[in-house]
Amino acid sequence: MYESIGPDRFELISVAQDSGDPKAVGKWFDRASPTFRCVIDPTHQISSLFGWVNVPSAAWIDEGGTIVRSHEGAYPGESTVRFGLGKVRFGDNSFAEATRDWIERGADSEFVWSSTELAERLKPVDDDTRLAEATFKLALHFEAVGDSERALRHFGAAQDLAPDNWNYHRQGWSHRGALYAGLKVLKRTSHLQKNTDKSFYDPTGLPGEDYRRFTQPEWLWTPAVRRIKQLLGRR
Amino acid sequence: MIILANGKTTEIAQRTDDTEHLWVRVGDLPDATGWQMKPQGMCLGELCVPLPDQRVEEWIADAEDWVWMCYSEFADMIGQQYARDGDVWSLGSVPDVRRSGLEIGIAPDFEVTERSGDTLRLSDFRGRKVVLFTWASW
Repeated sequence: MYESIGPDRFELISVAQDSGDPKAVGKWFDRASPTFRCVIDPTHQISSLFGWVNVPSAAWIDEGGTIVRSHEGAYPGESTVRFGLGKVRFGDNSFAEATRDWIERGADSEFVWSSTELAERLKPVDDDTRLAEATFKLALHFEAVGDSERALRHFGAAQDLAPDNWNYHRQGWSHRGALYAGLKVLKRTSHLQKNTDKSFYDPTGLPGEDYRRFTQPEWLWTPAVRRIKQLLGRR
Repeated sequence: MIILANGKTTEIAQRTDDTEHLWVRVGDLPDATGWQMKPQGMCLGELCVPLPDQRVEEWIADAEDWVWMCYSEFADMIGQQYARDGDVWSLGSVPDVRRSGLEIGIAPDFEVTERSGDTLRLSDFRGRKVVLFTWASW
């Protein structure tokens, strides 16, 4: 996205929000051979400041330092993640296309939000949200110093205080390993989809958005199951 | 004692005769909390909060050859949440700063380290369009 729009036209700051070993994040950066700014934010400081509760998230900031758009679910394109006998497809090109429009047209872009629109879309922040933030950072501290027992206790407390904050859930679960975290995401998304009207991200509202409340994995046998259901449905 | 605030970890001296509250030496306040004590009150950038007269004597104390401020009481007054485990205190964001800036669309400034080791401040990019993007490996 950065290269195709034009590096001389804007600054892209890519923030890896990972509390673990910087080398683990480094390999993702290296794979992308980035020409843009790459930083690691182990304490999720930037999400706290911008009020984001999930990744990927993004903000457009104009030349005067004003936020002109900010949302979660800001995928730079479509991608597929494979795991075991399944795969999950994420994202679409709508955010990249809208970003291109903003870079070219600035304040005239139809995708720019006014400060009123931005304020309306901010997630509510109450005392529990703020206490969850402090508690989550306590957990990250104990994780960093190798005190797993206290880290897990505080991750759990932060998740209870801010149950809609996916960053707290997923970072906390990843303390027990990627497989554990992946299974917990599947279990929680399945539960929320069946029992609530919540979503993984709010819709971005961008043209061409392929919006799904939750992204379900496609297993190796999913196409066969789908075909069988179609055949049964015809009878 | 360790204070976690504004993305930083700061180790500071602890007042030994009252470990129930968060006492911070006045000189340590800016580095540990971001706040600074000035004649007009406690200041964080351009935001200044006067200290209630009746509280000054309770919240500011001479002890152990230093001047201390009872930060946890001040945090309670301004609605700043904090979590504690032993001698580690974690301070949440300051409500007025977090909310008011975002509500009028001002991008909150931050300082982080680039992979190259250089320090990156968002405000250094004034005059350029910026796309700020977060992701994670998990």
